[in-house]
Amino acid sequence: MKEDTTNCFVLEGKMALPNQYFVGRLGSQFIIGLRDKKKITGVRCEKCSKTFIPPREYCELCWTKIADKRVDLGNEGELVNYTIVRYNDKHLPKKAPYVLGQIKLTGTDTPLTHIVTGVDPKDVRVGMKVKAVFAEKTTNTIMDLDHFEPV
Amino acid sequence: MAEYFGATVADIFNTMPKRFKPEEAKDVDILIGYEATGEGGGMWTAHIKHGTLTVSKVEELKGCKTTVHADAETFVGVTLGKITAIDALTSQKLRVVGDPRLLMTLLPKVFVPFTVIPKKKEINVRDILATTESRFRPDKAEGVAMNVGYDLTGAGGGQWTLQIKDGQCKVREGFADVLTVKLIMDAGVYAGMMLGTIDGTAAFTSGQVRIEGDMMAAAATGRFFHKYADPGAQEAEELICLRVTNAIDQRFASGPVMGKWFAGLREKKFLANKCPECGRTQIPPREICAICRVRVTEFVELGPAGTVTNYDLVYFASPDPLTGAGRDTPYAPIYVVLDGSTESEAFAFELKKEDLSRIKVGARVRPVWAEKPTGSFRDLIYFEME
Repeated sequence: MKEDTTNCFVLEGKMALPNQYFVGRLGSQFIIGLRDKKKITGVRCEKCSKTFIPPREYCELCWTKIADKRVDLGNEGELVNYTIVRYNDKHLPKKAPYVLGQIKLTGTDTPLTHIVTGVDPKDVRVGMKVKAVFAEKTTNTIMDLDHFEPV
Repeated sequence: MAEYFGATVADIFNTMPKRFKPEEAKDVDILIGYEATGEGGGMWTAHIKHGTLTVSKVEELKGCKTTVHADAETFVGVTLGKITAIDALTSQKLRVVGDPRLLMTLLPKVFVPFTVIPKKKEINVRDILATTESRFRPDKAEGVAMNVGYDLTGAGGGQWTLQIKDGQCKVREGFADVLTVKLIMDAGVYAGMMLGTIDGTAAFTSGQVRIEGDMMAAAATGRFFHKYADPGAQEAEELICLRVTNAIDQRFASGPVMGKWFAGLREKKFLANKCPECGRTQIPPREICAICRVRVTEFVELGPAGTVTNYDLVYFASPDPLTGAGRDTPYAPIYVVLDGSTESEAFAFELKKEDLSRIKVGARVRPVWAEKPTGSFRDLIYFEME
């Protein structure tokens, strides 16, 4: 049987999902530091001689509470790993292709994942020296640190 | 004496008698020894016996059933709650010989918690006035020339004149020969107004501030200055909470039957379909009768008016699925048996807000359509009572 498709059509819609996420006390301090002081802060465990970023309440190695052992870090670091994002999706922060790098800031022991610009995706290499560029227009998110770019 | 978190170990023991709650300690008989090591440390005993407390500074902990040992920093930190006791215990910074549970349950019961006594710095009127010139905003006071006299009475008071002229501001003691306006108030009220703890307008209307001369000039002065900031004020901690509404895109293929329903809406018609077996109407229409499981092809127009058979009053709204925004409450979905429909087939839709108070089962309602229907479920706005 041939069906009558006169009235067949596609309806575009969306489902909105309101979400809220409490950044936490340490996370708030971290973002406020980026926003107001243009400074990246980590926490340091003296016992293990490790500096963590983003800041966390406990040392992940010895479980010592290190929430108040805040240290200001510099804006420069080294690219220790990266990936190239090659597809577009509306939840992504940038148009493809772009470089998502893991940056180990000088003096830290954990990398920070962020966008790296100012370098062609085919020229990116591990070990590159990069520096942080802060956002002019702040949004109270990790994007207050806008991106990293080669030194 | 070494301070940690703004307090010394001795502060804790010195305030103990004041914080003691004798009525909670009637049946208690315990001698607790404390040893705080490091700078600012020492040894103390607290003897609680039948509602009395004796605190003594000692050279050695003798005869104590329970003893507490920690470095001075941890000791103050735990007492103030800046360091959690469990953390301190597990990291061995705090050591309890005897029964730690006894301490954790007994002490909070018999003592008011220790808090740092804030070191109050009196805000001095002179300190505030000294900042006036640096707080001046020439851009706001262009072409303004006035002398504002302050007669501040009471402790720490005095007489000052604020001279604003040619984009400059000078503060000097005493009154100028000619005053545009004179404000008379207690020095404390002035400090309160500058710190923002006293509302200027309220202070004036309640008579705490007297104004002699040009009232408008007095009201305008605030504009010419940056707000005074208390240098000793502690900033409230800012905590960030991110609110984001994400949306998942959806596509819905109508198919021929649901498509016909939407085509009907475009012409402001409710098109149901009628089962050839049982004769019931399905609204919105379905390809198959859900009861007889036979294909349904005959369409009938229902309503547009109908009778309410049930309704819900919603006070706790789910978010609007299209925008994620909270909806105004209350609202009411109503179940309408449209004219011409079989009785069991109600059509659910929202009722006009204004009709909420009058709604009842059996009420007659009619649809209100969008001005320009496009063939979507937005074409029907709501039902209203006839």
